[in-house]
Amino acid sequence: MALKIIESCVNCYACEPLCPSDAIYEAKPHFLIDAKKCSECDGDYTDPQCASICPIEGAILDALNVPLNPPGSLTGIPPEKMAEAMAELQSH
Amino acid sequence: MELPVLNETSQSEGGCSAGSCGSTDDQLSHLSDDIRDKVQNHPCYSEDAHHYFARMHVAVAPACNIQCHYCNRKYDCANESRPGVVSELLSPEQAVKKTMAVAANIPQMTVLGIAGPGDPLANPERTFATFQALSEQAPDIKLCVSTNGLALPAAVEELSKHNIDHVTITINTLDAEIGAKIYPWVFWNNRRIKGKKGAQILIDQQQKGLEMLVEKGILVKVNSVMIPGVNDKHLAEVSKVVKAKGAFLHNVMPLIAEAEHGTFYGVMGQRGPSNDELQTLQDECSGDMNMMRHCRQCRADAVGMLGEDRGDEFTLDKIEDMEIDYQAAMEKRKVIHQAIEAEMNEKRAASEQSQQQALAAPKLNTRPVLMAVATSGQNVINMHFGHAKEFLVYEASPDGVRFISHRKTELYCSGDDTCGDAETALQRNIRTLEGCEVVLCSKIGYEPWEQLEQAGIQPNGEHAMENIEDAVMAVYREMAENGKLEESNDDQRISA
Ligand code: SF4
Ligand code: SF4
Repeated sequence: MALKIIESCVNCYACEPLCPSDAIYEAKPHFLIDAKKCSECDGDYTDPQCASICPIEGAILDALNVPLNPPGSLTGIPPEKMAEAMAELQSH
Repeated sequence: MELPVLNETSQSEGGCSAGSCGSTDDQLSHLSDDIRDKVQNHPCYSEDAHHYFARMHVAVAPACNIQCHYCNRKYDCANESRPGVVSELLSPEQAVKKTMAVAANIPQMTVLGIAGPGDPLANPERTFATFQALSEQAPDIKLCVSTNGLALPAAVEELSKHNIDHVTITINTLDAEIGAKIYPWVFWNNRRIKGKKGAQILIDQQQKGLEMLVEKGILVKVNSVMIPGVNDKHLAEVSKVVKAKGAFLHNVMPLIAEAEHGTFYGVMGQRGPSNDELQTLQDECSGDMNMMRHCRQCRADAVGMLGEDRGDEFTLDKIEDMEIDYQAAMEKRKVIHQAIEAEMNEKRAASEQSQQQALAAPKLNTRPVLMAVATSGQNVINMHFGHAKEFLVYEASPDGVRFISHRKTELYCSGDDTCGDAETALQRNIRTLEGCEVVLCSKIGYEPWEQLEQAGIQPNGEHAMENIEDAVMAVYREMAENGKLEESNDDQRISA
């Protein structure tokens, strides 16, 4: 079992030094998790470290491709509010 | 290699401090000589020096350990940069090279700060590697660092080992209830902690860090973001507490929130304070402590003086090819710094003299007036109205002239045919001058002149190249003589 980082990652480096398994590495265009090394922090921490500091909703997925930090969970912005604001901006 | 420190000169004679504005409460005069020495030539702390010296920031610290509601982590930290900005991330080695390249080319650059793009202390290795190298290789550069405070207590010991003489902490509240409305989460002891509990941890760490720094003799500046309806009523209390604990400056900045930045406050329609609200709060807090009104929220990779940004001249590929003989540069810098200091001292003396004269003249009993000034530094009126990227706002009153704030503008005249949108940008700029009755500049076009007059703001180009405070006072006296200023009763006064 392993987590993965997808393209919405903003390359902030926050997760990399926290990983107990040395599974995270800098790559282009964004950071990646080595699936062979990732332990999901099992045995080291209660919460997966990368997903506990990552500031970007949806950037880290579990083995079933479910985001650990779904939309609205970190910023507190209700997803429908965000969609509304973005639609508003697009119309200008 | 051990390099001698060439720039340790700093004069501090009682009475001759950096309060350049002929103001009644001389900005730095209440500070001890020791502290005044440290801040006198610091462009971020001394209102006087920021006309002459420059600072730069390097973006070496990408990670952050908290979330603020005015920040979108797709961009740089919004505590230290304006929102919506992305800086070029540097490795510590690149940052050191860039700093030395800038210092060699812009001798006025005296301060290097690390402020982001995340939280410097959430990236201790990158931040301290940069400081370590600069302390060794460029000892004539002052170092500073800004932080949200969460990791501060753990970093104080390390900070005290480097050439760091001041730390900025952003403190928006002392109350976890309010904190939960500003900080959705913090990362602490390997967990993401949300809500009031997270906010309380942050508040405790900030206060502890502040106390530890003061104990170590490291200068502490406190920044606060004014968020109407959230912490605006509470910031006067914050000011009082941090001062009691030994912070030497408190800087209240306005919240900047736009939907397009994608921040919580932007999307949820939280407004920022008006110029008026900001000034009222700054006045309220200045009774308690020295305020840093001239702060301009520069970018995490800003280079330059007075709102200018010369970062483009020092991009990675450009510095790559630069050969820098820092020993030679340091000699040159020393000579230039001494000349600037001499000039500053001369101007301070002259300004004291003109204040004395002003005091000798019959005392006015007129109401205070706000005036905007277009300047690119040197403390003189030397900017064309249409070229000003920002205006400095001063208050003139019978007690003298004091600096109030910066107001940023959009350039409406770029000198080529991109002026299509001129009308609206000019109108917007005039709106940023709301509350001012006069605008002083070196030159101004016919159109803006007319529109300013229509908006009730008197343009004035008669004092080009004159000292700002003297010119503002001269215009004020002229207004008084022409009967434009009704007498004031004391409770109507803006200043205390
Ligand atoms: S879940 Fe844990 S082990 Fe896996 S990449 Fe993230 S931090 Fe490393
Ligand atoms: S913390 Fe998130 S955004 Fe930052 S580098 Fe890791 S995955 Fe990317």
